[in-house]
Amino acid sequence: MTGTAADDLLAGQTWQQLLARRSFIELDALERCMALLDEGTSRVLAGPFARLESPWLEPQGITPQSDDGVVIARGTIGGAPVVIAAIEQGFQGGATGEVSGAKISQALGLAAAESRSGTPVAAVILFETGGVRLQEANLGLNAVAEICSAILDLRPHAPVIGVIAGTVGSFGGMSIAAALCTRLIATPQARIGLNGPAVIEQEHGIGEFDSSDHTLIWAVDGGKARHAIGVVDDLVPDDADLLRGTVLEAIRVGVVRAGQNRSQRVDVLASRLAAIDAAHPPTPDQLRQIVGATYEPLSVRPAAPGPSRHDHTPPRSRGRTWLSALNEGHPPQPIISSVLRVTNEATLYLAVVPDPENPYHCARNGEVGLTESLALAQAVREVVDADAAAATKRAIVAVVDLPSQAYGQLEELVGLHQAMAVTVDAYHAARTAGHPVIALVVGTALSGGFLTHGLQANQILALDDPGVEIHAMHREAAARITLRTVEELDSLAKIVTPLSYSVTDWATLGFCDGLLRVDDADAPTATDIKAVSAALADAIERARHTPTDLSNRLDSPAAAHTRRASRAVRDLLAAQWNAAVTP
Amino acid sequence: MQTLTYDFPAGQAAPNAVHVGVVASGDLEILLEPPPSGATDSSASVRVRTSVDGFDTVWHDVLERFFTHTSLAGRWELNDFGATPGVVTLRLRQAAEAALGGQP
Repeated sequence: MTGTAADDLLAGQTWQQLLARRSFIELDALERCMALLDEGTSRVLAGPFARLESPWLEPQGITPQSDDGVVIARGTIGGAPVVIAAIEQGFQGGATGEVSGAKISQALGLAAAESRSGTPVAAVILFETGGVRLQEANLGLNAVAEICSAILDLRPHAPVIGVIAGTVGSFGGMSIAAALCTRLIATPQARIGLNGPAVIEQEHGIGEFDSSDHTLIWAVDGGKARHAIGVVDDLVPDDADLLRGTVLEAIRVGVVRAGQNRSQRVDVLASRLAAIDAAHPPTPDQLRQIVGATYEPLSVRPAAPGPSRHDHTPPRSRGRTWLSALNEGHPPQPIISSVLRVTNEATLYLAVVPDPENPYHCARNGEVGLTESLALAQAVREVVDADAAAATKRAIVAVVDLPSQAYGQLEELVGLHQAMAVTVDAYHAARTAGHPVIALVVGTALSGGFLTHGLQANQILALDDPGVEIHAMHREAAARITLRTVEELDSLAKIVTPLSYSVTDWATLGFCDGLLRVDDADAPTATDIKAVSAALADAIERARHTPTDLSNRLDSPAAAHTRRASRAVRDLLAAQWNAAVTP
Repeated sequence: MQTLTYDFPAGQAAPNAVHVGVVASGDLEILLEPPPSGATDSSASVRVRTSVDGFDTVWHDVLERFFTHTSLAGRWELNDFGATPGVVTLRLRQAAEAALGGQP
């Protein structure tokens, strides 16, 4: 906690109150549930004796935990029915795996079903996570996409309240989930961000982010800093009773009016980004002054436009190539230089592409950053709004070729997780409104970039090509973080499928709706284009006749085999949801 | 990672199933279940899954000492993430107390 003034930790309390308090941070996941629920009402579902362990850890020599590090507890808070999903920070740093992720998304799904049938069941998610569990890579990444979707399915019917107490905080894709919540509560000891400081330093060097600079970390990611720019609603001291009171109040307030959730506020994100000059990035203090704590559009003038752009030939990328190839006679139009679109009567195509002059220097190679998230969300929302009354909604095709999300200090300062949540929300809104949303992976699809642009699709197609790589993190970084060599990682991937970088292995995980053979993925032939266009048309047709939620990713023949653990979670939670209270 | 199994003679059957601890760094979780009803021989059957290899003898000695004092029959599962013998003994005692209805 170096560098955080002692007064900050009091968060409005006196020292006497601080000393008398019951710490929430010191509680484990189960004790946190008990501290929030009305006394005597708590019932743990799929608990330790159900032994729903991760099937992927033991083969890697990692001791599993009997509940995979997530406690699901039902009960009431202030008399209102609630389900709590509490992440145990001690186990694997709270990272999301197949089972722990399925427990959260299935619990939210059951709450949504009950809420729709007339009894609102609020959800409380206790985030304490470093993000996707890299030992379960692709299954963890998909689990986060399913959690995001499940939050959005429940949110119109009952409030979804996120609590980030610390000390792990919330990082990675799960912070997108946190940013989708109806209300977000944090302590001054919490940190919230998309990319953690160490990962940014690893990707772009110490000049981009010095991960030993604690003052900087807390000024960017700290609960107080997040509250000061309006992406956290309540800043509460580490006190179990005060936190319970805040959660109780959030449940009483209930759902937010449609369109007013933070992740639906494309207007606020747009006005904030317009006020920031990426060439002269603001300090944390300056940012606070620019955007303020109220999450409303700014009345300030946009920052001066950057220097005029050179008219270079744009760099080749598979995203650009395929977007053009699939739309002969309709050249892709830039929304911004790094986001291209083609719109026709039946379909909207979108791709994120490299832009060597991107004012955000960490987003020059086709990464999904702040302005890319905004441009994607605006384009999707435009089509959803325009087709609101249409009988047949246009299809949306996300052409995916991206190295990752942008790893940068400015991105974190402004809140990349919140920007990505705006995009995820837009894609989810399109899918649930009846737009067939198709992801077509033509190159790399990594990490948070894919969560934002692709993983909310009804149907996912991928080219069967060695250059197609779908994963939670690129090889070198994944090896470093899991303390392995790249060779060890590759040999483990032979027995632990979700670790594999091969697209044919990825296709066996349960969420591949088509693996498309092509002769040349870099310069598609006429036959390639014809085959991929036909596959897209088929996928669009399938999407029109299948559920608009993500249940197909659990019901596909491949999922029945590979995702047995997720399906066991779904079945057990459903069976125990309404069971009589057991001692 | 290593999986070790042990059997110790035990007199009293654990009356309740209990779960204590977390598979966190330097810690472990313990699941204790009563022996199946109608079981004739009463013993503590212990399965240890530990992230640290090569401590078979230490595990044996720590467990033997505990079950000499606390003769609680049932199925014991220990999922360990590098706990020291002292921490293991404390968690075992906590599990026994909780199973016997005392305050953990």
